[in-house]
Amino acid sequence: MLNIANAITTTNKHIYGLVKWLVFIIAGLMVVEVISRYSLTTPTSWAPELATLLFGPFFLLGGPYLLHMGGHVAVDLVSSRAKGKLKMTLEIAAILLAMVFGGILLWFSVPLVISSFNYAETSYSAWNPIVWPSKAALPFASLLLLLQGFAELVFIIGDSNGSETSTVNEVK
Amino acid sequence: MESSYILLGMFTALVVLMLSGTGLAFVLGAIAFLSTMFIWGPSALIVAVLNTFDTMTSESLMAIPLYVLMASILQKSDIIDDLYNAMEKWFGGLHGGLAIGTVVICTIMAAMTGVVGAAVAAMGILALPSMLARKYDEPLALGAICAGGTLGILIPPSVVTIVYAITAQISIGKMFIAGIMPGIILATSYSLYIYIRARINPKLAPIAEDTLNIPMAEKLKSLKTLALPGLVIFSVLGTIYLGLATPTEAAGIGVLGALFSAAVAGKLKINNLSAAANDTIKVTAMILWITIGARAFISVFVATGGADSILDFVQTLEASKWVILFAMLAILIFLGLFLDEIGIILLCVPVFLPIIKILGFDPLWFGVLFMITAQMAYITPPFGYTLFYLKGVLPDNIGIGQVYRGVIPFFLIQVVVLAMFVMFPDIVTWLPNLGSN
Repeated sequence: MLNIANAITTTNKHIYGLVKWLVFIIAGLMVVEVISRYSLTTPTSWAPELATLLFGPFFLLGGPYLLHMGGHVAVDLVSSRAKGKLKMTLEIAAILLAMVFGGILLWFSVPLVISSFNYAETSYSAWNPIVWPSKAALPFASLLLLLQGFAELVFIIGDSNGSETSTVNEVK
Repeated sequence: MESSYILLGMFTALVVLMLSGTGLAFVLGAIAFLSTMFIWGPSALIVAVLNTFDTMTSESLMAIPLYVLMASILQKSDIIDDLYNAMEKWFGGLHGGLAIGTVVICTIMAAMTGVVGAAVAAMGILALPSMLARKYDEPLALGAICAGGTLGILIPPSVVTIVYAITAQISIGKMFIAGIMPGIILATSYSLYIYIRARINPKLAPIAEDTLNIPMAEKLKSLKTLALPGLVIFSVLGTIYLGLATPTEAAGIGVLGALFSAAVAGKLKINNLSAAANDTIKVTAMILWITIGARAFISVFVATGGADSILDFVQTLEASKWVILFAMLAILIFLGLFLDEIGIILLCVPVFLPIIKILGFDPLWFGVLFMITAQMAYITPPFGYTLFYLKGVLPDNIGIGQVYRGVIPFFLIQVVVLAMFVMFPDIVTWLPNLGSN
């Protein structure tokens, strides 16, 4: 069980480490747009739109590993003082809520992405690209969030039994 | 009647679940999704997903990672150390000079970064030991760091400002410009306060004798490293002000400028870039996941008629508009004591803004008031964020109590400045309105 949890965490860490570089591409696309507007006199039709298509996958796919790092903002008035059973209950409740959120997003976004794929939905802009690859980031990130939630539950329960927990080194 | 029960249920659940320590994004999202299912049935959740697709492709929200990245690259090129050295040479000979210089650096850093923690932690490491070595009064030194560090909320480009402008549906550029004057006024007030206190009682902040005889040439030389980053910031704000680029495009140019200035400083290394990308995705994912949850929550609130009933309630109060304004500001400060600013904006602004408009106030002006209350919340004991950032770098012989004592005068200055902006709105609005005419 612990091995599965560690494998999930490692996967999410790699995805996080990969998508973080997208921000440089987004910045580059913005620069291309401004330069082509002022020096080539014609704005590109694709640069700003490609940037917005990368933006969703960028922040969504960073979310699951953020759950592992405890990077999602929370009010820790009570939880930081809690000990023993109460602490564990609160931690489990927090993860379950994240899983409810991820589960519902997954359940309702999959059909929308599938129909976007089937109809080869485009954005109706001048460039008019297909949009399903960008939209697919939502169910994919939700699934990863669900899995990470499961991994966190394994770590919490393992921790309470005094056995070994996460062996994945955190990104600094 | 039924809708008000639902709303009451939603807000009770919000408070209870938030206290459990669950991430704000998930609390908001889970409550919103479950109540949507409960009220309108599961098929209504498609709207929530469509809203999320919309958030994913928002050009305005894309400004957030780009400004964070720009700031992070500049920071990683050790610019803060250079800034600090320059400051010591320039301000050391003044009464309270090192504390004033700290406020000045915080102001400059605020213009480079949109996040509060960085300035506070950096000044805690650099400025605090230097001030303590020169026998500065501890609370005065600590207060200056805390108050100065929060200027990043108001002074553009600020992430909190971006989120406010998007939520309030006003121009990000105008909101940026609106923060400049109030930010400078606050920084000047802090500096004046430090100077006057040091003048009255020189023991609080002795003149740093060792910096008195630095030749002018050396002082000027110390500014050299600041030229390029300064130019980056200036051109980013300039292009927005002149309308040459959108705030998002300007941020992209800012990233390029930051890379260039890091290259000149010899700090363009893959490690630094990777660390900067880490900072960026962390902050962006945190904010955007909350945005998804908050949008879902607010749309349920609006659709069940919650927003309308609050408006009706405010109108039946027949209270003076100033009383209502004061009540709203008080709520913001109170929430700021234990909730993240981004969360407060995403939750409160959609509720407060219709009220502001009905009362005939300017959303831009209210935004500036909001940012100042946010700064107050950041330094208010016992939960103010800056206090925790600072706690991590405090030397052992200084307790958190010293920090508490130190922030009180600065909190009072913020109250006075806030009152001034409430009474004379023109101070806030003339600069942004000048640009649009």
